[in-house]
Amino acid sequence: MKSQLLASPGQRVGTSPGQPPVPARRNPTRGRFAAQHRRRMFRTDMLTVALWASLAAALALWLADGGMSSVGNLTQAVTAVGILAGLAGMDLVFLMLLLAARLPFVDGAVGHDRALEFHRKLGKPALYLLLAHGLLLATGYGMAEGLNPVSEAVALWTLVPDMWLAFVSMALFIAVVVTSLVAVRHRFPYEFWYFVHLLTYLAVAVALPHQFSVGGLFAEGTWQRWYWLLLYIGTGSALAWFRIARPVIATYRHQLTVRRVVPLVPGVFSIEMSGLRLNELSGNGGRFFVWRFLAPGMWWQAHPFSLSAEPQVGKSSRQPTLRITVRNLGAGSARLASLKPGTKVAIEGPYGVFSTAARSREHVVMIGAGIGITPLRALLESTPFAPGQATVLLRCSSTEELFLGDEILELCRKRGATLFHLTGPRSANTQSAWLPASAGTSRLRDFVPDITDADVYICGPSAWARLVLAEAKASGVREEQLHYERFDW
Amino acid sequence: MRLRAGISAALASAAILLVGWQAGAQVTESNASAVTTSAAGNTAGTAGGTASGTGSTAKGTTGSSASGSSSGTGAGSSSSTGSSSSSTLGASAKAGGTYAGTAVETRFGTVQVQVTIKAGVITDVTALHLTDQEQRSVQISARAAPLLRSEVLSAQSANVQTIGGATFTSEAYLTSLQAALDAAHF
Ligand SMILES: Cc1cc2nc3c(=O)[nH]c(=O)nc-3n(C[C@H](O)[C@H](O)[C@H](O)COP(=O)(O)OP(=O)(O)OC[C@H]3O[C@@H](n4cnc5c(N)ncnc54)[C@H](O)[C@@H]3O)c2cc1C
Repeated sequence: MKSQLLASPGQRVGTSPGQPPVPARRNPTRGRFAAQHRRRMFRTDMLTVALWASLAAALALWLADGGMSSVGNLTQAVTAVGILAGLAGMDLVFLMLLLAARLPFVDGAVGHDRALEFHRKLGKPALYLLLAHGLLLATGYGMAEGLNPVSEAVALWTLVPDMWLAFVSMALFIAVVVTSLVAVRHRFPYEFWYFVHLLTYLAVAVALPHQFSVGGLFAEGTWQRWYWLLLYIGTGSALAWFRIARPVIATYRHQLTVRRVVPLVPGVFSIEMSGLRLNELSGNGGRFFVWRFLAPGMWWQAHPFSLSAEPQVGKSSRQPTLRITVRNLGAGSARLASLKPGTKVAIEGPYGVFSTAARSREHVVMIGAGIGITPLRALLESTPFAPGQATVLLRCSSTEELFLGDEILELCRKRGATLFHLTGPRSANTQSAWLPASAGTSRLRDFVPDITDADVYICGPSAWARLVLAEAKASGVREEQLHYERFDW
Repeated sequence: MRLRAGISAALASAAILLVGWQAGAQVTESNASAVTTSAAGNTAGTAGGTASGTGSTAKGTTGSSASGSSSGTGAGSSSSTGSSSSSTLGASAKAGGTYAGTAVETRFGTVQVQVTIKAGVITDVTALHLTDQEQRSVQISARAAPLLRSEVLSAQSANVQTIGGATFTSEAYLTSLQAALDAAHF
């Protein structure tokens, strides 16, 4: 029945004879990935706790200072809420910075993309809190002095030292959040958004003086001042170390240079790079690096690309190599096709949990479409499974788009994975629109009967990936078994 | 968010807030006693130097913002320990005396200081009134005032750095001081 589902070239590479499929494990708490999975879940939970605790701690700074006793009338209440909003807002800003700092602990627990997704979600609440902070304090102070909020704000700006910096900081925060709104962001090139985003650091820096000089809570000699200072120093060092020092060190350590660019089909090509100590970058197929090719006109653009093969550390005479496979989706990636051998490459990474690190079960299912096939290729190469315990579904509109199809077929044969090519125009059936029309009324379960007891890796265009995710969930796959990488942002 | 994480997070946050709140209650209590002692200390200090209850006089004048500083023209009678509300002019300035600065209104309360000058040297700065409008302000001014006093004494002018975390108090303190110095033609 299944072979009918297969449009051209219609391969289904079954388990080799004599190796019957291993029965599904019912108890997910056993098996070789169970301990790793429990650890990861524990870390995720710890992060959630830490996040809320830090917010509570920010408010507790004020409470511990006897804040409650200072609230006697409306004026004081307005001022108090204004102070609390500032504390909470700033705490969210620190959290956002830490989420974007590529902390290995965070990346290993939830993955880079979910950390950034959460970072984005905090943007608006942080801004609203900071705006409320400004407005409420102008109102509260104004009420105390018999001024309207506007004149009070003007008075604060002109009369109080450091306050003008706070106003500048607010303007910067507004600029950063506004340019990050999806509707606005896509009107500008990525680099514009990125450089405006860098202003966050300036905004945070210029917000500091007024917190320490005007706010009594952080007066000299208070432990609150030390706590706050540690937040500043901790966040700053994390950013400096993980976003600047570590990438620079890795770049020097591995000395990557472009070896060759191999065209696959028009608009898609592989870039092979050689370097030193590449084995240290391996072992976790499907992860990605942020690449910067140091050639004229390209060096200032950094692109995330997943590895499309585990690093080849030469047993043969060949130099060790890393490989990525790129589809030109824009001007920047198109230029990469013309990379000259010998070009130096700066890297950040590896990042992400689209890898063995996310495994929780013995069974594994990999579903890819378009250029999203390529990280699955690397994962398939290295992630442990017994013959019969892996299923690979590749979705593309034409055989041409089956990037690295031969290599994947070969790997499936060698390792005993079941492979389906789902080729052809999209299905009209809205429920399974992620499948080709030729699949008829089939569903995910028809391809992978034991999917509820498997890790499911999904990578492809986001609209398509959403459909697959929805169907996987509907088939009874739990959220923690679903692993996906987004190529867009 | 997983249930276990949610519950742990809620518990942790609640515990932190509770600890903060408890600590806050204690701070408030200890401050309350600190305030009474320091108030007593202030009164004693001023009473020692002046003929009568300066504290209340100063408070009385705060409303009219430009208080004792420049109004006491021709009084001339003030000795080196003269009352704060009567300031002096001209010739007597270099000789010395005690001069009260303007009462400066801030959002945290009124600040007014008095300066004592002997033989052209600032020998003392006394706070007649300090920011006290919120629990916190009392603490801040109690901490900032001695620092400011010693800085002023060593700088021999109102031209000193504000104290971090006590901007409002410092600014007002120095403004009031400057007014007193101006009155003394210092
Ligand atoms: C984790 C991850 C792994 C990826 N792996 C691969 C891969 O293996 N092979 C592959 O071909 N592509 C991959 N991509 C996508 C690739 O990074 C973008 O297509 C590429 O950066 C586009 O650059 P551009 O200047 O040509 O595009 P633009 O003309 O700027 O835009 C084209 C598209 O790329 C997006 N984009 C541009 N720059 C970035 C950036 N720095 N970060 C995120 N998105 C960006 C834009 O939003 C737009 O959707 C991956 C993306 C991510 C986030």
